[in-house]
Amino acid sequence: MRGEVVVLALIVGLANYAFRYGPIRMGWGEGQAAGRMARFLAATGPAAIATLVVASVLPMVGAARLPLVAGIAAVLAVWVWRRSVVLATLAGSLAYGAVFALA
Amino acid sequence: MREETSGFASGLVTALPIALGYFPIAFAFGVAATKAGFSEAEAVMLSLVIYAGASQFLALALVASGAPVLVSAFTLVAMNLRHVLYGPALMRAAGADAARKRAWGWAWGLTDEVFGAALGELARGRRFGEPFMYGIGLGAYAAWVSGTAVGTLAGGGALQAYPAVEAGLGFMLPALFLALLLSILTRAAVPVIAVAGVATVAGTLAVSPTVGILGGMVAGALAGVVRK
Repeated sequence: MRGEVVVLALIVGLANYAFRYGPIRMGWGEGQAAGRMARFLAATGPAAIATLVVASVLPMVGAARLPLVAGIAAVLAVWVWRRSVVLATLAGSLAYGAVFALA
Repeated sequence: MREETSGFASGLVTALPIALGYFPIAFAFGVAATKAGFSEAEAVMLSLVIYAGASQFLALALVASGAPVLVSAFTLVAMNLRHVLYGPALMRAAGADAARKRAWGWAWGLTDEVFGAALGELARGRRFGEPFMYGIGLGAYAAWVSGTAVGTLAGGGALQAYPAVEAGLGFMLPALFLALLLSILTRAAVPVIAVAGVATVAGTLAVSPTVGILGGMVAGALAGVVRK
């Protein structure tokens, strides 16, 4: 195993742990239930997930669009139908792959 | 509202969709790592120690291009800075009396999807519990590490003969994020989501994907503060 890969993994892994655990340990955002900090934190979840949707779809927009449209449509349709994250995810992936194969 | 048990087993059940999404993505990571010249042990070690999907894929590109370790580390750390917001947002949703004595363990598994799924469960009325958090976290982590291991064993050329499978697997992560977004969608969240989306596109096109991700998250969260 290369030393540089281990060092890189350790630095990034330790930082990840500090980011994930540190704020809980320090009690950030607690105490005052109301106020700006509370609203900021309540909006963080939707903001983060919306960002990740856009950031992960954006690189795919330049390539073949038909599979992308089919994949997104399948996720939306199966979500509306079954309200299940797993089924919607798998349906989206299947639709993307299937349309990619046919296109 | 529903009050469901918040034990380890129900955490594992909640982890199932995440694990089903993680395994193929981690498999793709294992394949990509072998293709980029990483050994099987190195690829599995990256998944065990870093445990953050997008930055692991980026790590492959950085190491393969010969970027200095500190430059690579700085880029990857900045990319994961968003995780700082997850713990407080989750504890805020869990309530002031929620236990956190054993957060030193479950917080390690607070990835984008684990955070999204836990938040979704709380929004749908589940009571917060640390065993539940360990259940989601371990289920997802096991799928990520084992998927990587199977991917490295399959090797770099595993998916070349199956481009449609490769394409479908490549859409797994966006599909998972979109489904998670739908699961936490509320009327109040719509402006936040819109601002985050626009800021992500603007930041990505103007500067870089990393700036787009950080900018989108911060702009969206700030939109939540401004709105009445």
